[in-house]
Amino acid sequence: MTVAPAPRGSLRAGWPAAGRLRAWATPRTLVVGGCVVIIGYLAVVPLFYLLHDTFTGPGGFTTDAFARAYGGNTQAGEMMRNSLEFAVGSAALALVVGTGLAYLQVRTDAPFKGLFFAASLVPLIIPAILYTAAWIFLADPDIGLLNNSLFKPIFGHGLIDVFSIPGMIWVQGLHLAPIAFLLMVAAFRAMDPSLEESGLMSGASRVQVLRRITVPLLRPALISAALLMFVQSLESFEVPGLLGLQNGTYVFTSRIYFVLRTYPIDFGAAGAYALGLLAIAAAGVLLSAWLSRNRRAFQTVGGKAFRPRPVDLGRARPWVGGLTIIYFIGTVVLPLLVLVYASLLKFYTAPSVQAVKTMSFDNYRQVFHTPIAMTALKNSVLLGVSAATIVMLLTTIASWIVVRTNAPGRRLLDLLAFTPLVVPGLVLGLALSFVYLRTPLPIYGTLLILLISYVTRYLPYGMRYAGSAMGQLSAELEESALVCGASWGTTFRRILVPLASSGILAGWIYVLVVSFRELSSTILLYSPGREVLSVLIWEQYENGQFTVLAAVGVLMVAILVTLVLVAYRFGARIGVNTDD
Amino acid sequence: MKRTRSIATGALALLALSGCGGSVTTANPGGGPADNTAGGVYSTLNGLPGGEQRAEALKRAKAEGGTLSLYTSLTADVADAVTKAFTEQTGVPVTVFRGNSETVLQRVLQEGSAHRPGADVVETNFLEMQTLGDQGALGDFGGVSRAGLPLPAKFARWTATRFNLMLPAWNTKLIPAGEEPRSWEDLAEPRFKGKLTLEVSDSDWYENLTSYWLGHGRTQAEVDALWKAIVGNAKVAKGHTVMMGLLGAGQTPMDAMNYSYITERAKQQGAPVSYRSADGIAHVPAFPRPNGVGMLSAAKHPAAAWLFYDWMLTDGQKVLVQQHLTPASKVTGDTSLDGITLLGYDVAGLTKDIQTWDKRYDALLRGVPQQK
Repeated sequence: MTVAPAPRGSLRAGWPAAGRLRAWATPRTLVVGGCVVIIGYLAVVPLFYLLHDTFTGPGGFTTDAFARAYGGNTQAGEMMRNSLEFAVGSAALALVVGTGLAYLQVRTDAPFKGLFFAASLVPLIIPAILYTAAWIFLADPDIGLLNNSLFKPIFGHGLIDVFSIPGMIWVQGLHLAPIAFLLMVAAFRAMDPSLEESGLMSGASRVQVLRRITVPLLRPALISAALLMFVQSLESFEVPGLLGLQNGTYVFTSRIYFVLRTYPIDFGAAGAYALGLLAIAAAGVLLSAWLSRNRRAFQTVGGKAFRPRPVDLGRARPWVGGLTIIYFIGTVVLPLLVLVYASLLKFYTAPSVQAVKTMSFDNYRQVFHTPIAMTALKNSVLLGVSAATIVMLLTTIASWIVVRTNAPGRRLLDLLAFTPLVVPGLVLGLALSFVYLRTPLPIYGTLLILLISYVTRYLPYGMRYAGSAMGQLSAELEESALVCGASWGTTFRRILVPLASSGILAGWIYVLVVSFRELSSTILLYSPGREVLSVLIWEQYENGQFTVLAAVGVLMVAILVTLVLVAYRFGARIGVNTDD
Repeated sequence: MKRTRSIATGALALLALSGCGGSVTTANPGGGPADNTAGGVYSTLNGLPGGEQRAEALKRAKAEGGTLSLYTSLTADVADAVTKAFTEQTGVPVTVFRGNSETVLQRVLQEGSAHRPGADVVETNFLEMQTLGDQGALGDFGGVSRAGLPLPAKFARWTATRFNLMLPAWNTKLIPAGEEPRSWEDLAEPRFKGKLTLEVSDSDWYENLTSYWLGHGRTQAEVDALWKAIVGNAKVAKGHTVMMGLLGAGQTPMDAMNYSYITERAKQQGAPVSYRSADGIAHVPAFPRPNGVGMLSAAKHPAAAWLFYDWMLTDGQKVLVQQHLTPASKVTGDTSLDGITLLGYDVAGLTKDIQTWDKRYDALLRGVPQQK
C-alpha cells in the first residue's frame, strides 16, 4: 500500500468539536442515522412476524415448532444434506465460472468481450422456471435435444441427465453465475494491477501471483459472492422442484413449501426452517467479517492513480476465445434458442418438419393482447428502477458504516441487512400486508407496498455489492477530502460513490433484473390494475401455456438487455469505467 | 355413453349437518328503513320472488357504484372470459385479483382481520371456500338460481360453479391405444414402472382414492400395497400445468392424476394427450372436486357480489363450458362429462382432516413411515 496505516476511528477524531449536540446534528449523522433506522425497520418487521409465530403457541412461549419442523419423519437432516450438497456445488460452480469470466473480461485482452456481457445477463433475466424447463428440453435423457441430436449419434446413448444432482448444480450454477460475475467485475476493476505486476517482476509465477496476490485481494468480494449464492441456492425451489423431485432428491425448501401451502399455515414450522437457514447465513456473515478483519489488506484503491493494463494472453488467446464461445453457446444461445423455438409453437414438441410447419407468432400476439401486458411492463420498470436505486442508496451508506466506522452495533447492522434473504417470500408478504393493512397511510393496495417488499428482499444483495466495493477503497481518500475542507456529504458524493461506482452499478443492475422476477411476495401484495411482469409470467405458467411463457421470457430478455445497455451507457457518461 | 352420477355421501352428511346448505333468508319484505349493510342487502335480495331478484340486484349494483371486486384462482384466460361476459351482460365492470387458491384465502383472511375487505366476491377451490365459510367470511345466498343445481354443488356458505375432474392422463404416442389404464388399480401394475408422474401436493386425490378403495371392499393393507406400488412406478413433479407441458412434450408417458380440463386444453392446442380411450370413454372413474363462488359478508358492493354469484350459476356456466371446464349445472353443448363415470368427492373426510392427509401423502411420496 502507498500510505502508512491511519489509526482506526480516525474519522471520528475529525469531527467538529463544538459541543456534542452540534456534533450529533450534522447532516452526516442524520443521513447515517436515517439509513440505519430504515434498514433496521425493513429487516425487523418480517423477522419479528416470523419469530413471534415460531416461539408462541396456545400456551405462550414454546419451542414445539422446531420439533414439528425437524423431528419425526420429516427427514430434515437428509434434506439439509441434499440442500448443502446442491448449494455448495452450485455456489462453487457459479463462483469459478463467474470469477473466471470477470477476470477475462476486466484483466485480459480476451476476444469476444461483448459476449461476456450477454453471457452474464441473459441467464439472470430468464425466469428460473423457464431456464430450468429449457434445460429439461436440452438435457432430458429421453427427449433432450443435446442427447438426441448430438450424443446418441456419436456415442449410441445419451450422455447427460439433467435430473441428477450434478444436473441440478449445472443449471443452478449457470443461473447464479451472473451474481458472481457482476460482483467480481467490479472487484477486478477496483484492483490495482501494479501489485500483481510487482509480484511478477519479483520472479513469482503466474499461478503464485494468482494464489498469493490476486485471490487474497479479492477475498471480501469472493466471500460475498459465495455467501449470497450459497444461501440463495439453499432457499430456491425452482431447480429442486423441477429437476430434484423427479429423481427423488428432496431439499430443505421442499419442507418450507410443504408447511406454507396448507391451511392453516404452520408459520411456526416455517419460522423454524427460516431460522435454520438464518443460523447458517449468520455464521457465513460473521465468518466473512472475520476473514475480512484486516481491512486495509484489501484496500486496493488508494491515493495513487492506477490504470489497469490488460494481461496479454498470448498463445492462450485463441483458446480462451474458443472457450468463451462454447460457454456463450451453452449458457445463452442454447437455452435462448429453445425458448425462441418454443415461443413459436402451439405446444412444445421436439423439432421436426411438422413442428416447423406449425410455427407462428401467435404467442407473441397473445402476449401483446393480454390486457395487463402494458400495465405490467410499465409497473415493473418503475418498481425495478426505484427498488434498485433505493437499495443501492441505503446499502452504500450502510456498508460505509460497516466497513469504515467503528460505530457500535455495525456488525448487527450487517447481519440485520442480511436477514431478509432467509425470510420466505410468502412470509414477507404476509408480514407486510399485516402491518400496512393496519396503517392509515396509503400503502396497502398500491405499488408502494411492492416497493417496500422489493427493497427489503434485495437489501442483502445490495449490502454485499456495495460492501465489497467499499472495502476496496482506502480511507486515505476521504481523509484527504475532509482535510481539504469538504463536508462529509460532498466527500461521499464526490469521492466514495464515484470510486465504488462499479460495484454500486453492478448491484443496481442485479436488483433491477431480479425485481422483474420476484413473485413469492408479489403474488400476495399486488392489486388489481397494478400488476407487474412476474404476475403475468405466473398467469401464463398457470394457464399451462409454456409456449406463451417462452414468448414472455424472450421479450423480457430483449427489454432488460436494452435497459441494462442504457444503464451502462449512462454509467459511462457519468464516469463509470467500462472495459468494452 | 356411460354416464352415472353417484352423489357424495360425505356431501350429504355435511349438508345435513349444515341445514342442507340453504340460505338463511331474513328478508324484510315489509319495507321499513333500508338496511344497506352487506348482510342487509343479501337478506333483501334473498327474500324477493325469484323472478325479481336479478333485476333488483342489478339496480342496486348500479346504485352502489356499479363496480365489483373479484378474488379468484381461476386461470387468467378463464377469468378474463368470465369477467368480460359478465360486464357485457350487466354493465358492471370487474376488477380481478388473481392468485393461487392459498393466496386468495390468505389475502381475504388478512384483509378481513384488519377490517379492510378488498373483495366483494371470491371464486376459488373447495378447501379454501370451505375455510372461508367456516371462518364466517361469507354471506348467505338465496337466489333461485341455486335451487336447480345438483346437491353436491351446494355448500353451507358457497356454491360450486365448476368441477375439476381428477383422471389419469397419458401421452398417446407413448402409451399405445389399448394400453392405457382402465382402473385406478391399474396404475400399480408393473407395466407402468417408470412411466407415471405424481404431483407433489395432490393429497385430496390421495384421500379420495384411499376412501374409495376402502369403501369398495379393500383392506387397509391392500390399499397401502397399491399406493406403494404406484409410488414405486412413479416420479414426482410440482404443478399440474408443468406436468401437462412435460406430458405433451413426451418427457413423461403418463400423469397418474391431472385435471381433465388441463388435459383437454392441451389436447385442443394439438398436444398428443388424452384422458379418454379411443372409444371415447374414460374407463377410470373420476373424482369431481367442487370449486365455487361465495360473497363476502363484509363486501363493499354487496348487490354486485350477489349479482355475480347469481350470474355464475346461470349465464356464467356457459362461459365455463366454452373454456372446456366442467360446469356445476347441466349446460347444453357441454361435452366435458361425456364418457366419464363420476364418483363422489369426499367432502366430509377432507373437511375434517386435510392436514393429516397432507402429511400422509407427503410421507408416502418420500417413502418414509407414516407418523402416528
